[in-house]
Parts: sequence; C-alpha cells; structure tokens
Amino acid sequence: MNLAWQMVRHRFAGFAGTFLAVALGVAVVAGATTLYLSSQPETPARYAGSAVLVESPESGEYELGRPHHRPWPAAEATALAGRLAEVPGVTAAVPDPSFYVQRVVDGRATGDPEQSRYAGHAWSSAVLGGYRLSAGTAPAAEGEVALAGAAPGTVVEVLTVAGPARWTVTGTVDGPGFYVADAAALRRSAGVPVIGLVVDGEPEAVAAAARAVVGADGTVLTGDDRDRLEPGEVTRTRWLGAQLLIAMVAIGGFVAIFVVSSTTALSTAQRRREIALLRAVGATPGQVHRLMYAETLVVAVAGSAVGVLLGAAVAPLLAQPMIDSGLQPSIFTVSVQPVALAGTFALGIVVALLGVWSVARRAGRTPALDALREAEVSKRAMSPLRWVAGLLAAAGGVALLVFLPNLAIQSQATVGMGAAMLLLTAGALLAPVVIVPLVRVVTWPWRRGATGMVVREGTLTGVRRVASTAAPVLLTVGFAMLLTGTVATITEVEGAEELAKIPAITVATADGTPGLSEAAVAAQRGESQLPTWVHVNHGGTVTGYDAVGRSDAPGLVLWPDTAAEIGAAAGGTVSLRWPDGTLGTLPVAAVDADAPAPVVVPRDLARRHDPAALTTAVMLDGPPRPAPGLRTMSARDYVQLDIDREERIIDIFLIMLIGLGVGYTGLAVANTLLMATAARRSEFRALRLAGAGTGQVLRVSSAEALLAVGVGTALGAAVAIISLTGVREAVEAELGIAVPLVVPWGASAAVVGICAAVALLATAVPVLRRR
Amino acid sequence: MTITTTAPAIELRAVRRVYGTGERAVTALDAVDLRIPSASFTAVMGPSGSGKSTLLHCAAGLDRATGGEVIIDGVSLDGLTERALTKLRRARVGFVFQAFNLVPALTAAQNVALPLRLAGRRPEPGEVTAMLGEVGLADRAGHRPSELSGGQQQRVAIARALVTRPAVLFADEPTGALDAASGREVLRLLRTAVDRHAQTVVMVTHDPFAAAHADRVLFLADGRVVDSLAGPAGAQEIAMRTAALEEGVRAGDVAEARR
Repeated sequence: MNLAWQMVRHRFAGFAGTFLAVALGVAVVAGATTLYLSSQPETPARYAGSAVLVESPESGEYELGRPHHRPWPAAEATALAGRLAEVPGVTAAVPDPSFYVQRVVDGRATGDPEQSRYAGHAWSSAVLGGYRLSAGTAPAAEGEVALAGAAPGTVVEVLTVAGPARWTVTGTVDGPGFYVADAAALRRSAGVPVIGLVVDGEPEAVAAAARAVVGADGTVLTGDDRDRLEPGEVTRTRWLGAQLLIAMVAIGGFVAIFVVSSTTALSTAQRRREIALLRAVGATPGQVHRLMYAETLVVAVAGSAVGVLLGAAVAPLLAQPMIDSGLQPSIFTVSVQPVALAGTFALGIVVALLGVWSVARRAGRTPALDALREAEVSKRAMSPLRWVAGLLAAAGGVALLVFLPNLAIQSQATVGMGAAMLLLTAGALLAPVVIVPLVRVVTWPWRRGATGMVVREGTLTGVRRVASTAAPVLLTVGFAMLLTGTVATITEVEGAEELAKIPAITVATADGTPGLSEAAVAAQRGESQLPTWVHVNHGGTVTGYDAVGRSDAPGLVLWPDTAAEIGAAAGGTVSLRWPDGTLGTLPVAAVDADAPAPVVVPRDLARRHDPAALTTAVMLDGPPRPAPGLRTMSARDYVQLDIDREERIIDIFLIMLIGLGVGYTGLAVANTLLMATAARRSEFRALRLAGAGTGQVLRVSSAEALLAVGVGTALGAAVAIISLTGVREAVEAELGIAVPLVVPWGASAAVVGICAAVALLATAVPVLRRR
Repeated sequence: MTITTTAPAIELRAVRRVYGTGERAVTALDAVDLRIPSASFTAVMGPSGSGKSTLLHCAAGLDRATGGEVIIDGVSLDGLTERALTKLRRARVGFVFQAFNLVPALTAAQNVALPLRLAGRRPEPGEVTAMLGEVGLADRAGHRPSELSGGQQQRVAIARALVTRPAVLFADEPTGALDAASGREVLRLLRTAVDRHAQTVVMVTHDPFAAAHADRVLFLADGRVVDSLAGPAGAQEIAMRTAALEEGVRAGDVAEARR
C-alpha cells in the first residue's frame, strides 16, 4: 500500500486520467441521484394542518406508478365527512373539492395555467393548511371569495369553467388559492378526492378509528403517506425530470466505466517495463496484482471524494434551470442526500476497480524478462479474453435489436439503449482487429512519403494505443448519432402523421389558461371536444379511459380495441363511472376506429358529470369571437405548437445527454492522447535526430491522432447505424407504416469535428512543449 | 586448482534453450553444463548471438530452459510455479541490468529496500543505509533515480541486489551504458563483494576490461561453452581469445555458406 501510494504520487500524470474519469463520472452520478432523490412527492402545503387525510378509494389501473382513484360524489363525501367528524379526537372533517379558477388582470388570465386547475377550494378547507383570515369574513354566498392579496370589498375578475365572472372579496387569507362557499365549491368540482381531518389527539390512534368508519370507501393516510396526495401535474413534472436524471446516470455510469478501463489499460501498457522490473526484483504475480489494485484504490478514493463533493455542490445549481425547463415542479428544492453520495462514492471505487480488473491480471503475468527489453513494441493487440468479451457483447447487442420489435413499447427505448451500449462496448473491444486493415487502406496513398510511412508503421505497431484513443471517439460519435437519429426518426414519423391529418381551418385555443371556458366555447361557431375520462367496470376489473364529449355523439362511441377490451358491441350497454364519482349506463351507439378518443360520449353528459373539464380547442366554422383566455391560429400552427412543446423537452434531453457524453469523452480523448504522446517522447526525439523538423514531427503525431479519430468515427457510425436500423424496425412494426431512417449527419459531423479538434490540440501540446 | 568443498552456487546440467518451433527453431543454448562455485566472480563472454544473455536468464530463473536442469543454491528450478520461482529469485538471486534498474517513483533508499519489502520483511534500522554506504551513496538515500547520474544509479542497483544477501548476483552488461570511470567503480564494487563478503557474481559482458576483474572467464559461441580462462587474466589475453573466437565464428559462417 505504501508502495502504491509512492507510485501514485510520483506518476500522478499517469493516473490523472483515471482520477479525472472517476471524479467526473462520480460527479455526474452523484449530482443526478441527488436531484432524483430530492424530487420526492411532498404533502401539499395546503394539507400542513391536517395530520390525517382520507383519500377516495382506488379503482385499479395504474398511471405513472400511482393508482387511479374514483372521487366521491359530493353527497357521499358530505355524508362520510359527517361520520368522520364524530370520531373521537377529530375536531373537523372537511371534504376538499378543487376546481379551476384564474384571476384575470387587464383582460389576461394570470398565474400558472396547469396549477390553476386546482386553485379553487371550499372555504372550510382553508383550515387544513392552517390558513386564517387576516381581514374580513368568510365567503358565504355564490359570487363571494376569500383570497390573499385583495382587501375585503374589492371586486376581482376571474375566469372559471363557466366563463368570466366578477367575484366580491369578503376576506383576505394568509395562504394561496381562491376560497369560495362550500356549496359553490362542490358544485364546481368533479367529485371530492380527499377529506381532511383536523385532529387534537395522537394521529395514528385517530387514523385507526377513522379506518373503521371509512372501511373500503377510502384510504386513511397519516405522516409521510400523505405525500401521495401531491397533485398529478406536479408528479408528472417530477417524472419527466426523473427520466432525464435516470438517463444521465445510465450514460454517465457507462461512460465512466468505459473511460476508466481504457485509461487504466493504456497507462498499464505504458508501465510494462516498470512492472517487469518489479517482477525481476522479486514481486510475485499476486503482488503486482495487489499493487495495481492498491494504486487504483488510492486514485479512486481521491477521485470519488472529489466527484461526490463536486456533484453535491453542482446539484443545487441545477434546480432552477430544471424548474424553468419544466422538468421539476416549482416547489422543488435540492437537499443533501447522504445515501446518494455514499452510494456514488462506493460506486466510483467499484467502477475503478472493475476497470483495473482485466488489466491487473495481465500485468501480473508480465514476464520479468521484459525489464530487459528496450523496445515498446506492443504485444498481441487482442487477448483471448478481449476476443471473447467483444464477441459476446456484439452478439448480445444484435440479439437485443432483433428482439426489439417483439417487446412492449415502454421497454423498447431502454432495451434499444442497452443494445447500443453493448454494441459500443463490442466496437471498442474489437477495434484492434479493424484498425490494421483500416490503417493500411487509409494510408496507402501516402506510403511513399516519410510522414505516411512513419504514421503507417507507428499505428500498425501501436495498435493498442490507437484503440485506446479511438475508444472514446467511438463512444461519443456512436451515442450522439444514435440519440439524435432516434429522436429525428421518431419525430419525423409523428410530425408527418399529425400534420397530414390537419384540415385547413382556424382553431380557437387557450391563451394563458389550461383550456377554454364554456362561455368562450359557446361564443364560437364550430366543433369542439371536451376532454374527460371514464372508468369502465368489465368483469370485475376497472379500467380508466381517456374520453371526449362531443355534441354530435349519438351515444357512446368506442374504438374497436376498447370495445374488445370491455366486451361491448354496438347496440349493447356499458356501465361506467363518471369523474364526479356517479355511476351511469350508456348504450353503445357505434364502434368506430376513426373516433377521436378511445371513448366518445355526448357532450352534455360529459359536461354534467365533469364540471371541472375545460375544452382544449374549437375548430372554427365561422369568424372567431374574442373571449378572455382565447386566441386563434391556423390548425397547422396549433399542431405545430404541440410538436414544438414536445420537441423543446426532447431538445433539452438531447442537449443534456449529448453534452454530457461529448464533454466526458472529449476529455477522455484529450487524456489518452496526452498520455500516449507524452510517453512517446523518445520516439519523437529519434525522429528529430533522424532529421525531422518540429513541423514534420507535428504532422506525424497529428496524422496519427486523426487516424485514431477516424477509426473511432467509422466504428461509432457503424454501431449507430446498426442500432438505428433496429429502432426503425421496431417503430415500423409498431405503427405498421414505412419509416425512413434519418441519419443526423449535421450533428454527427459537429461531434466528430469537436473530437478531432480536441485530439489535435492534445497531441500538439506535448509535442511542442517537449522541444 | 583448488577443490571447493562447498556446493556450487549455480549448477547447469545439459541446459538447452530453443526459441520458436519446427523449421524456424533457433537453439540459443545447446546442452550447457556448468558449475559456478560459491564466492567466485565469473565473467561470461562471447560474440553477439552466442547465447550469453540466454545463459544468464536461464541460470537466474528469469527464463525457463527448454531442457536440462538449473539448480540455484541447491534448489532445482524444475517444476517450480511462477510464484515459487519468483520467491526463489527474491531470496537467492540479485540482478543488475545494463540500464533501467530502478523504480523511478522510489528514492534510492526505497529502491534498495524494495526486495525486502516485497518479501514482506521490514528492513532493520540502518540496514539500508549501511548498504548504500557500502556503495558510497549514503548521502543520496533520499534522491530519486532521475536525480542520480548513470553510475550512481548503477551503484544503487548493486546495493539493491546485495541487500538480500543473495546466493548469486547476476549482472548483465552492468557497465554497458556507463563512462569508463563509472564503469570501473561498478566493477570495483562487484570485486569487493566477492572478496570481502564471499558473494558469488556472474557477469555477462563483451568488454575484455570488465571481464579482467573476474576469477574465471567463460567464452560462449553458438550456445556452447567453448573456452575458459581461469585465474585473474589480463584484459589483453581475454581480448585475444575473444578475437580468435569471433574469427572462428566468421570462418565457420563462411564455411557454412560455401556448403
């Protein structure tokens, strides 16, 4: 261990590559996991004063890992609250309906549109958040409201589901939200999802008593379980951010393993003589083995420690950008995550030790006699282990791609990425096999010139060195092409599909609001859909379906596969549960594959049973009539708006992931080349002695670097195109239409350019400095 | 000639070393029998390609013989595992190479202590300093190889080779990379080790002047011991023998070519 410490201290430059790779990999993973773990559901602030909450019962089917719930109808909720109020220790049992309301200032709707869907509450629920009136009185009648930031007596303009309204402020509250009379709130919302209890006893004891009262009609939550009641929008945002963070951890971790093992391999190859000397003076293979592990441990502990600190320091800085990009909710805050940091610290060490594993075995077998050999000519570039591992990885990657179309669509992206990682690993492991013929072909035209000859022979004898340099380029180009290519292929398909269906009409849509009010819709002439949902009970299982209300629907209209799933046919009936919690039975009017949603219901029924629903858009049939929170645009622009919103998120993902990949591997390229070039000082000195000027030496070293970049690019592009073809096959199988393969040449060229520039710089620096 | 009662430090019995197989096989050592008595200084000479380096590698256990048996300090190398062989080398054999003898990361003292540490033994207080003192470098203990001259590095290498009190010290062209003065200093140290500490030394060299420091000079040609000179021989005589040997080889080559 002492020896290891000495070695590391002396040859820090040689270990700097491993150190940096570990530190950055750990920083990325530590930062991402810190952000991920910080973004856990929280009990909404408006339930802070309610230690026991009762949630409406689950009704099967899960979405984003959360069960779907059926709200209580208003009457049922009021009755249940009445029974809960009699439980000992309960001082108040309050049904908590929420509804859409937005304040209008100067004719424009204000506040976050998505959050405004839940901004309206019943006055009695203010107590659940511990909110009090700071002035005035509680709202008691329709058209009265209590809110923060308005003095009693003022009249505020608001926008509700029904349309614009003018409400009189009766009181000023010290918490967020619009509070109206309980009856008014119940009328405006679709059922009651939660009943909050204010207790003055032991919450667990009260909860136990409440469970006896509620039975199967709901779930009683206390303590951290109340976090489940976070609004769905917030959870969806967190989920989106989590996808990015998971991808970052996967790519960061993979790249770290990759770079650590390739830099370790290179630095070990460079130390062959030194290791042989140790063997000659009496180090057993086991001792060399242990020395290598000990050295790596020293480097890894230092690297991991720096990485963890870096990750923990940078994570909070990313909170605001993530909120701004819509990848975290506005209430998101970063907290120190000791588990994430400790775990990542250990991970960094394990990764480094794994990276040194195969190298240490080989180093241990270094014959002592090698200490006497002057030449640094690389030995066999391919060890049997390397062959086996490379071929296994290639076979595994291809097998995954072949099976891709048979997998569920949700797991295709993950499996496709896994396949690409395997193929990239195979490419890196098998690179030496390709390098020799490739170099022969590429350098053929210049074989007569001195530079050409030296480059050709230099690369052919130093195959492992070239492979080490090519590996990170391979990784970067492969990842960048694959990610951008997959996204480009998919969006091309989506865009083409959606834009093709759009008629040349004008559309009225929401402007700063989550949707259009009834009044705004009624003012327009045209066709509109009211988005809602229904739960259908078929043979004991309950499934939730997206539904739309349409004024032209003759009854229930179903998609063929929806009809098949619930076992209904035209002429039959379906019993369903509405968003307000009530039950109904509808005749099936038609089964139609062209229906706009899995379930279509008459608009008036949808309106009656989902008082909170807002219309997304109206396809105009006549001139638009202005209304608050409404704007018009061409249908094409409207669809484009949707695509743009999606693309903006995808672009953020791509920029983050490719930036991460390119940044990291660019560093690896620079690092391998700096190490390799510095170690070849004597070779370059010999070249100079043979009469080469600095320019010529520079030409030789640059040509070699470019050759390595070229090899990496060729292999990376091959892997990416193979994987992209696999993805395309899967998409084709899914959609049943021909999909063009989009190869992102522009982005790929940029990435290759960056790699080449970094490579040239990294070779030129040591050559010029060691004059 | 005196008859030594002690066992030989090194014994080679019909040792063969063949590189490659089939048509391309090259015989570097051809049935060499050799006994190196303890506390003697033996020089091995011969034209390049005569097998002198191979002889040293096989005798030292760095390389394995294709046939025959090598016995170091009474232990046969036959059938030893790589680990056992390493331990044997560590305990009974010391090396001084032509160049690149020292681990660049370690100071002179640490380099000297390295074989002891690898054997799992903590050097006794003063042991390493005393060893460095013997090669005249007690004041350089804390220097790294890059801060030492070539001659000084070679002296540290001798100190390291001797610190385990090995049965044999092998030196492969120890003066090859040094200037004349430094080379003399290294040879004087080797001679002293033999005379004062009864150390056995085997040195491969092509330099008649270096060989003149030995008790016995062995001449190799075509993988066989073809001649030997006992007792302190003059550089002049050694040079003449070498010249004769090289002539012979050349004559042989010519004869072979004519056939």
